[in-house]
Amino acid sequence: MLNKLKADFDGILELVNKAPAPLQELAFKMILEQWFSANVAPKPVPSPPAPAPGVPGVPSGGAPDPVKPFLTANAITTAILEKVFNPLGPGAQLLASEIPGNGKANQMVNLSLLLCVKQALESGAFSCTLKELRELAVHYDCYDSSNFAATLKSNKNYYKPREKGADLELSGPGLKGAGELIKSIAAGE
Amino acid sequence: MDVAQALEDLLEELASIQKDVSKLKTASVSGQALRKRVKETHKNWLPVAGVLEAGRIVDAAHLQGVSDAWAALVKLANNPNPKKQYKVLLKNIVATTESELLHKFIKGSAIQTIGDTLRKLVQPIGDADLLRYLEESIRCAEMNCVRASVVLAWCAVAHMIHKKLRSLGIATLNAQFASMKADQGLMFRAFKKDYVFTTEPDIQEAADAHLILLCRFLTYLDDTQYKHLKNALDLRNGCGHPTGYQPDPVKLQAYYADITQLVLLNPKFT
Repeated sequence: MLNKLKADFDGILELVNKAPAPLQELAFKMILEQWFSANVAPKPVPSPPAPAPGVPGVPSGGAPDPVKPFLTANAITTAILEKVFNPLGPGAQLLASEIPGNGKANQMVNLSLLLCVKQALESGAFSCTLKELRELAVHYDCYDSSNFAATLKSNKNYYKPREKGADLELSGPGLKGAGELIKSIAAGE
Repeated sequence: MDVAQALEDLLEELASIQKDVSKLKTASVSGQALRKRVKETHKNWLPVAGVLEAGRIVDAAHLQGVSDAWAALVKLANNPNPKKQYKVLLKNIVATTESELLHKFIKGSAIQTIGDTLRKLVQPIGDADLLRYLEESIRCAEMNCVRASVVLAWCAVAHMIHKKLRSLGIATLNAQFASMKADQGLMFRAFKKDYVFTTEPDIQEAADAHLILLCRFLTYLDDTQYKHLKNALDLRNGCGHPTGYQPDPVKLQAYYADITQLVLLNPKFT
């Protein structure tokens, strides 16, 4: 295996160098992880535990398939995601004890991004209902009732176009924002 | 009608009226336009009040208080009156609508749907004994008895842990407790209790905190899982003793997600 690693190493470095400088370390780690999982034969397990019931489409120890492109695009590893949500599948819960952001409006927008990712971990769709957003915003003390609609409107680039009162669904910038937010929470910022 | 949305719209309009009243350079609100806006906004309040009254989620006295304040505000708007009086009434309506009606409505509507959410989480559980505890717990949650719900759901957790530890046999269990006491590892060195069980029901006498620590010692749980289960036990203890803490439906949902994942559906406990 060592010989194969030596042979593949230059190729790996070449790939890593294609990534932007700040992400090279992460890219190196991810590629190496992939290399090892592809090249190391799994250890024989005498009696594998039964799979957790009710978790269709969720690979053990990983995020559901529909979320994987989002994770890859934002350089988020399972380890990073696990610092923000647990479990990474149906029943996913937001682990944060408080929502980052300056002021209630900013916190509520951040909460909406996180709720959409939470929903994606459950069902694959990056969306959340306003009912759920309100309930969680009250819980996290970032609900500004008289500015609720105005706050969502002024951050409408994060969401796909919708009617007033309709569910939120993340747009491209919303997905990017959610990715950045998850990384900053995981980093303890 | 989306009541939360309607209340938000009302609050937004009331905030705007408050601002305009404050901006007036006169001592009284005499302009027709502003007084008309007050009356129009009141018209939007009436159907919301009707739905809130029928829904019984919010406290009837608070609802009546806001309705009375609205009536007084509309009476003021019939004629030019001092803006001081407007300010007091507007402030009262906004504060009570927000904290006692809207927030309570949101929490109350979360309670109305919590049963479905919790049942979905425990749906894969097949053990009839566990389901009896859980169903009772969920019914408590649906009646807005969140603390009772937390305590009853923990009964299912304790039941499963007892069952698993009983399956080891009394002798092994005594030996494992002794080994854990002797362990000087960071996690276990504070554990100093002597447990000597003679019959299976004796296990129920052991502190839940020690039983879950033993589950960690026996590697049914890893460090992170143990930490989360300990938090769930702390919540259970907070709800099972006289404290001022009142968890909300969001907290209950997170608690359920944790206990199902960590114990009730954890293959290591079957």
